[in-house]
Amino acid sequence: MSNAQIAQPAAGVTSPQHRTGVRRLLRELFRSTKGMTGAILVGLAILAAITAPVVAPHSPTKTSVRAKFAEPVFIDRSSDFLLGGDNLGRDTFSRILYGARASLAIGFLVTLVASVIGSFLGAVAGFRGGIVDTLIMRAVDLQLSMPFILLAMIVLAVLGPGFWSVAIALTLALWVNYARLVRGETLRIREMEYVVSARAIGLADQRILTRHILPNMLHSILVLATLDMAFVIIFEASLTFLGLGIQPPTPTWGFMLSEGRNYLSESPWMTVFPATAVILTVVGINLLGDWLRDTFDPSLRTR
Amino acid sequence: MGRFLIRRLIHMFAVLVAVLIIVSLLLRLIPGDPVDAMMAGNPGMSQENMDAVREQLGLTDPMYVQVMSYSLDLLRGDMGESLRFRSPVFPLIMEKLPATIELTVFAMIMAILIAIPLGMITALQRDRPADYLGSIVAVIGISIPSFLLGILLILVFAVEWRIFPAAGYGGSLTGSIRHLVTTGDPSPLGTSLRYLFLPGITLGVAAAAYNARMVRSAMIEVLGQDYIRAAEAKGLPRRTVVLRHTLRNALIPVITILGLQIGYLLSGAFVVENVFAWPGIGRFSVQALSWRDYPTIQGIVMITALIFLTINLLVDVLYAMLDPRIRIG
Repeated sequence: MSNAQIAQPAAGVTSPQHRTGVRRLLRELFRSTKGMTGAILVGLAILAAITAPVVAPHSPTKTSVRAKFAEPVFIDRSSDFLLGGDNLGRDTFSRILYGARASLAIGFLVTLVASVIGSFLGAVAGFRGGIVDTLIMRAVDLQLSMPFILLAMIVLAVLGPGFWSVAIALTLALWVNYARLVRGETLRIREMEYVVSARAIGLADQRILTRHILPNMLHSILVLATLDMAFVIIFEASLTFLGLGIQPPTPTWGFMLSEGRNYLSESPWMTVFPATAVILTVVGINLLGDWLRDTFDPSLRTR
Repeated sequence: MGRFLIRRLIHMFAVLVAVLIIVSLLLRLIPGDPVDAMMAGNPGMSQENMDAVREQLGLTDPMYVQVMSYSLDLLRGDMGESLRFRSPVFPLIMEKLPATIELTVFAMIMAILIAIPLGMITALQRDRPADYLGSIVAVIGISIPSFLLGILLILVFAVEWRIFPAAGYGGSLTGSIRHLVTTGDPSPLGTSLRYLFLPGITLGVAAAAYNARMVRSAMIEVLGQDYIRAAEAKGLPRRTVVLRHTLRNALIPVITILGLQIGYLLSGAFVVENVFAWPGIGRFSVQALSWRDYPTIQGIVMITALIFLTINLLVDVLYAMLDPRIRIG
């Protein structure tokens, strides 16, 4: 009986052999409809962002009087514009391809920075405790007491609208998720035998944190980061739509939609296609995040 | 319960004070002051005039003096004067607040009314077509940005089919209900509901989709519990088992997130109001930002934070009443 217990690794501890390898993860991905759908949609968005300069048939910013409100190819066979032209005669298709760049760039950047800073602060809070913990957690409380949009608007007002302001506002909004997650996990793992013994053999705190505690939460952090990226892309588009986000002439989906809104009945393609791009990208990211969560922690399976 | 409440109230007060200080400091970092914004409308304003106005508005005082005097006024319920309208901020916000509350509450009710049946059906039909369909709808509901959903709904229901108005406000909902009760005339209520419907749905859909997924997974978890099997074994009708034993327990985690969700809905309302030209504080705050109307922005932030904290407090109290284990922690 006691032997059997010893042979069982403690819950939540992943020894190197048990850690899900990249290859195993990919094999799982191919087997899951949800995961594959997500991966394909996200892959398409990434592909669009990377290949935009090569694939785009027109310049995303070049205006032309001739192409004003040009109809898409499926309405007017002779049209030179696959998905139509906009109010200034810019090519909708090319703008959608370039728009993927802004959305994905801010999505990756914000989730990366927020998760690194948040995880670091959370780990320090959980591991050190005391006054450091109190300070960090009070900052978390404070941030959570303000609806995100107010925080965003204050930041945008102070810094002025633009890519970096939106990135900072969203980072400020999201780091708390990681701080809370990692702090909680650190408190739990800190008391586990392998950490206690690591300390007993004299490992430095920093090494225990980076080598023994953080790697055990990478899965949870990755799941959270994926789902947050969907949130970031939605909110960047929303803020840009309100005129507070990324400014023209940078082609963005949010701005395309805010222009399209004025021509809903005459040129619905100005709205429908960028809308499809946003929805498919975010659906893809969410599916991928859900799949990751199911794979890493089957007990949370929601489908 | 008493001590729990007192501790939470003190905490809430501390957070409000911190929000106040941070917001006042940050807003004064905004490039360009309100006098610059005023001057944009009055090119004839001389430098002396501008300095005089700055002096008059207290903008030349050191920052900490400005923050202190604002806080003291706030304790007396005075939020200062809007620089744009030259009238007290508090009534201005209060005038816009009901529209935002109506929108948020309507969206919340929509979110619950859609989420519970959807979550229940998908849980009971687990791994059957209805479940797959419901789950696909839920993922799309979570993934669609509210402003975009709003535009698409306008495109379909207002531009193409002309069932609902594309934007605007149909009069106060509470006012029209009062009108219905006192005079028996339902037409104002009909009008305000017609205007409320599209923005309300727009705002509520993401929350509904999220809640439906929560209800589904909570139901599935509860359905696997021994006491459900026991209830079934002693021959209780399926209805009783599902509604009384399963749904009730599955709703506890949903209730706890409702508080946080109000925050998301409020955030969402700020966006949705701008899509539908809804005259609430969300639209007002975007305008106030462009006018650099500090006292108004500050007032909106303080009131929103107060509402948000109060709701969270209420949710915690509700939760503590539902689940006595929480009170100890």
